[in-house]
Amino acid sequence: MLAVPPLAAEQILHIGPLPVTNSYVNSTIALVGFVVFALFIRAGVKKYGGRAPKGIVNFFESILEFILGYIDNVTHDRKKSLKFLPIVGSLFLFILISNWMGLLPGVGSIGIQKGSEFIPLLRPANTDLNMTLSMAVLAVVASHILGVATIGFFKYANRFIKIGDLYHAFKSLKPVNILTAIIEFFVGLIEIISEIAKMVSLSLRLLGNIFAGEVLMTVLAGLVPYLVPLPFMALELLVGFIQAVVFAMLALVYLSMATVETHGHAEAGKGEAEAEAEENQVPAV
Amino acid sequence: MIINLPHLAQLVIPVAHAAEEASSGGVMETLGINWKLFLAQIVNFGIILLVLWKWVFIPVAKKLQERTDKIEKSLNDAERIEKEKKEFEAWKNEQMANARKEAGSIITAAQADAGKAKEQILREAKTEQQKIVDQAKQQIEEEKTHALSQAKTEIANMVTVAAEKILRGKLNEKNDQELIKESLAQTK
Repeated sequence: MLAVPPLAAEQILHIGPLPVTNSYVNSTIALVGFVVFALFIRAGVKKYGGRAPKGIVNFFESILEFILGYIDNVTHDRKKSLKFLPIVGSLFLFILISNWMGLLPGVGSIGIQKGSEFIPLLRPANTDLNMTLSMAVLAVVASHILGVATIGFFKYANRFIKIGDLYHAFKSLKPVNILTAIIEFFVGLIEIISEIAKMVSLSLRLLGNIFAGEVLMTVLAGLVPYLVPLPFMALELLVGFIQAVVFAMLALVYLSMATVETHGHAEAGKGEAEAEAEENQVPAV
Repeated sequence: MIINLPHLAQLVIPVAHAAEEASSGGVMETLGINWKLFLAQIVNFGIILLVLWKWVFIPVAKKLQERTDKIEKSLNDAERIEKEKKEFEAWKNEQMANARKEAGSIITAAQADAGKAKEQILREAKTEQQKIVDQAKQQIEEEKTHALSQAKTEIANMVTVAAEKILRGKLNEKNDQELIKESLAQTK
């Protein structure tokens, strides 16, 4: 019998008030793995000091260089890249690893039978909207915090509630300016909605892709268990990587957009246009 | 490929089930949103973020930056040293050329000086020689005239003495004649 996983992650047990779901188990395993990995890297960095690194540190450095190169392409500023690297890199590595963990044998297939229902013990972390939404919220909130920290609270707030621009327009007493400012004011209000849309689109995109992959794997394994799912497995590897890249890239674009300094009215318009162009470009990936 | 139709039917059932759930428990429940789980996942990812941030990304990026700086510095140093070496080489060559030129000019000057000195010495020697020769000639001349005058006086004396002697002796015609002739021949 085919057991297609439901959209909501299944609950396995309760720890205190927390309902432990199978995808939560997966993300916790990933957490433990990352902590161990981080300890190794920390020890390695201490061990090699200023000398040439070896083994895992060397390998990780090459990955880091690769990620930094991509971040540089968006920010065009090494200092900014280094500031964004921890957030973007963590998102990328975590999403990539948990996506690929979902392809390991046993994930989704080992579980407990509760009456007629089969509940797998492990389920890819990103097939749970709680996980993807928490990452999306973290990324967007981080972009706002960094934005405020870089360009100041009032300047940053003026992007969304453009009272400052409105005031300047009325002071200039030119009707065209006033009209533009009023339109801009409503555009600013729409920006607030777009911030929420960012979180929703980020989290649902990742959830949809990985969940669809999981359903596809289950269905294929149910129909033809041998060999046929293999190419789809390979495709899932690719999808897992691409989704990690897309999530991290979008988070990076949001971060860099939030920290773009805008001076005056004319330049503010230009900066937004650039940011919009950037935003339109990246999702096309 | 043969597709089992009942299986496909079973595929549809969960979807219908989910739709039913949505109508009863709301969208949030259908999507599986649970604020406790949401917070737990935020904590999970937050820990990963923190751990990677503190122990992985920052130290490794710092090390990378340090190494880049170090390599950059070494390359710059090497370039600088190479440049300095070239400059030194050029300076050395220039200095050597200068020294050589100077030495050459000193030698030519010395040669010219030596030539001049030689010429002068020669000239001086010649004039000295000339002077000595002239002096000698003059002296000889003087001596000669002196000797001549002396000889003349001596001859005159002798003639006088002879004349006295002859005059005191027998003085005849014939003798007288002969004596005059002889004396004349002698004085000539």
